[in-house]
Amino acid sequence: MRRKLEIVMLACQQAVPEPAVLEDLLAAAGFQGRAIAEPCSSKVEVFQMLRILAAEADLLWIIGCPEEQCLFTEGSARMGRRVEYARKYLEEIGLEPERLGMSRIPPGETQTLKAMAAEMTGRARSLGPNPAKSPAKKESDL
Amino acid sequence: MIVGVRKPLAEIQEMLAGFDRILLSGCDICVAECVAGGRKEVAELAAALKMAFQLAGREVDIRETSVDRQCVHEFLLEVVEQAQSVQAVLSLACGAGVQALAARLPDTPVFPALNTLFIGETAEQGLWLENCRGCGDCLLGFTGGICPVARCAKGLLNGPCGGPRDGLCEINLAREFDPPVPCAWLQIHDRLLALGQLDRLLDLAGPKDWSKGGAGGPRRVLRPDQRP
Repeated sequence: MRRKLEIVMLACQQAVPEPAVLEDLLAAAGFQGRAIAEPCSSKVEVFQMLRILAAEADLLWIIGCPEEQCLFTEGSARMGRRVEYARKYLEEIGLEPERLGMSRIPPGETQTLKAMAAEMTGRARSLGPNPAKSPAKKESDL
Repeated sequence: MIVGVRKPLAEIQEMLAGFDRILLSGCDICVAECVAGGRKEVAELAAALKMAFQLAGREVDIRETSVDRQCVHEFLLEVVEQAQSVQAVLSLACGAGVQALAARLPDTPVFPALNTLFIGETAEQGLWLENCRGCGDCLLGFTGGICPVARCAKGLLNGPCGGPRDGLCEINLAREFDPPVPCAWLQIHDRLLALGQLDRLLDLAGPKDWSKGGAGGPRRVLRPDQRP
């Protein structure tokens, strides 16, 4: 049996107060989703993004608030710059930078969450399994 | 502090070709401050190499460590011990740290992950500026605490050249700098003016003795009172 594609989400707890909702949306679409709540999207560092892609994720998505609504003023902007840096690192590695996605969504909007989940699943489907992740988690081994 | 930047990943991969057990060793002082070689950058590079090797069909055991000063023997003991079980070490320290580690690992190749650039200052978040060349004969007492050797593009010692425009060094015409490079001599002038020491500019600096700055061969400091 083929393993489900795994999408890991690191979500600002202001933008996504209930991360389990995202996991349910992905599960309903046939994906394995893992949402990790963060105090702010700016707490996510580049080494964490790369580690997650190296170890488990077929697609990694960072979710923050709109820049002007960030509780920590510049957190969401900082997250954007880190994602950009990490994507350049992925290009150097030879992995599609699109495997690292990001969204800025207003807190608690169900319709926006659904649209974001659709974007994630569409992206994961088009990219397929992550060829750079740890052998223990590779599709071909399952 | 010493400022460095990571080498391109392809160059690092090439150095590590043929090694299947590698230790990445960071340094948590200077190169951590300039976000090039501290423990977070070790973790970044380890994950990046794992993915790059995976894509190349290679299974490589990559381990991580980091110490406070790779250029000081006592801090290296732990790394030396960890290095006994790997085939190669990739050091994210400055050139001094890489060499200090290599000297203590006679049977293990030690490779540099960084290009060491200069002695500098964290001027702003994410901006490091060169402000010392280690010339061995410090002039800062005469120049208002601003070094013309490091910060004047031509290293002039007796005032500016004819190139500055609007307070900026003419090097800005050669390529784009963000933020632009100021004229160090204008900065020296303004600083001395503010300190009421403008008359210092009337003292001519004589020819500089570059033998103290590396032109006399590898430099060393020997302190008999500190020797064992």
